[in-house]
Amino acid sequence: MTRKTRLFSADFWVKAVAYFVIAFFAVCCLYPLIMVLSVSFSDNTEVMKYGYSIIPQNFSKDTYLYLFAHSGVRILRSYGVTIGITIVGTLASMLVTSMISFAISIKDLKYRNVIAYICNFTIIFSAGLIPWYYVCVNWYHMKDTYAGLILPSLFSVWNMFLMRTYFEAVPASLYESAKIDGANYFQIYWKIAIPLCKTAMLTVGLMYALCYWNDWWNALMFINDRDKFPLQYFLYNILSNVNAISSGRIPSGAAANLKLPAETVKMAVTMITIGPIIFLYPFIQKYFVDGIMTGAVKE
Amino acid sequence: MGKKNTVVKELKKNRQLYIMCLPALIVLILFSYVPMAGIWMAFTKYNIRDGIFGSEFVGLYNFKYFFTGGTGLGPKVIYNTLFINFFGLIFGTFFPILIAICFNEVRGKYFKKITQSAMFFPYFLSWVVVGAIVYAFFSTDTGMINRLLQSTGHDIIRWYAEKKYWKGIIITADVWKWCGYNSIIYMAAMTNFDSSLYDAASVDGANRFQQIIHITLPLIKPTVVILSLLAIGRIFFGDFGMIYGIVGNNSLLYDEVAVIDTYVYSAMRSLGFSYTTAIGLFQSVMGLILVTLSNKLAKKVNDGGGLF
Repeated sequence: MTRKTRLFSADFWVKAVAYFVIAFFAVCCLYPLIMVLSVSFSDNTEVMKYGYSIIPQNFSKDTYLYLFAHSGVRILRSYGVTIGITIVGTLASMLVTSMISFAISIKDLKYRNVIAYICNFTIIFSAGLIPWYYVCVNWYHMKDTYAGLILPSLFSVWNMFLMRTYFEAVPASLYESAKIDGANYFQIYWKIAIPLCKTAMLTVGLMYALCYWNDWWNALMFINDRDKFPLQYFLYNILSNVNAISSGRIPSGAAANLKLPAETVKMAVTMITIGPIIFLYPFIQKYFVDGIMTGAVKE
Repeated sequence: MGKKNTVVKELKKNRQLYIMCLPALIVLILFSYVPMAGIWMAFTKYNIRDGIFGSEFVGLYNFKYFFTGGTGLGPKVIYNTLFINFFGLIFGTFFPILIAICFNEVRGKYFKKITQSAMFFPYFLSWVVVGAIVYAFFSTDTGMINRLLQSTGHDIIRWYAEKKYWKGIIITADVWKWCGYNSIIYMAAMTNFDSSLYDAASVDGANRFQQIIHITLPLIKPTVVILSLLAIGRIFFGDFGMIYGIVGNNSLLYDEVAVIDTYVYSAMRSLGFSYTTAIGLFQSVMGLILVTLSNKLAKKVNDGGGLF
């Protein structure tokens, strides 16, 4: 079984190719990020002269200092919006999702399949963007409100099914004995199910948090007020101005008036946007892997 | 009467559980079911004064306009959507499987840990950030690629004004972002493979390459088929965030990469609610049909009835 790999045997080549492929893809995934990082720490005139590169050119923190001196308030405000909707949204989403997942994981619940179907149907058929937009704006009046950034993403049916898988793994006998001791379902949910499924809560919570952190679609739909821009939408606006000018859509005369952010600024804002994810990444990664594997095995 | 009684009895008996379902169901009703009333707009000539249900009924006029006439963009955006999704599916299946198989062959705890972390990272980035990265590569004046072209003596290309490259760039970005994520799904499938099969093959003198071809690939096929079927079920749905995050509102590239979803959004103001609702409805109905069919097929595959 543990045959020794001879040099240049078929096994050797398989191994060599495997190492190469893995290393190559890993570099492909990291390279752009390192480039963004080093440009954000470069001197702008050098970048204009020599283009983007993987090594910081004339290393300087000026861009970040400039950013916080000039548009610091704007950025901090957007940061605040993003952090706010991420925290409030994630907590609310976890509560809503875990409650329904817990309920339909109970075999005693007669209509649990009906409820699951009501949820499932929204995945296979939707009204489409325009009716959704219409009712959100005209009936619910979500234009320029923080509710517009949270409510539409509050409940994900995928996450519910993922969570149900975890709840179903809890032995029913635990609930039964609690019931005999006089506990009602709210108490069972809060005192038994949730503590037993802590990892699941964390996994689903992180998935929601990532979704709220990265969201700019809701902002694109509902938010016109600059004070309510989340971070991602702030970055989107910087980039789309650049995009419009380099496509030549805005005549060069007008472009001269429209002050373009420097190259290094764009990359610095990008870094600021993904900063917290990078710091948390080593700790949160395994929960995502766990969640994906649980979801995948279920299929 | 008797039936109604059992319903009431059940609702009473498990009242706490039903209350726990309520918040989620309310969210679904507000944001998924109530908008379905708005589908009616697709069959009318909507105007604000008369509202959704008071506007003039025009039958299938809006659908006809999408397929045949007017802007001429109808068939074009359908083609773009299918093209981008189809090649996204092909490459987005091939590379993750390649990675999963190779990852199975490499050893070394730290090497594995670092490379997997690196490959999974793009999944955590929003499309806006991916858009910024694409810009870093393709910007005309400072972009990495143009500098490379220049230094090797080629002419630079004004990427953001040349539409022909962008389907490729978008598909590449799509595969890049999802590669690590999808490879984890295949690795999850591979951990369930029976290791005695490999031991037996090894005893029989099969080398690793032969084992991959004759054991791993056949075993992974059902997973590939199911994931592909699920993707085919959604082939009429473009990724709005991807297109808008990377290309934004660049009018020079617009019709090359416009998918149904982005077209609906940008036509909302210029061509009105009725017309764009009709497009969305067409998309949803195609989706419904394909998802139902592919789910049926996937179930068959799962039961071992088999597609192949």
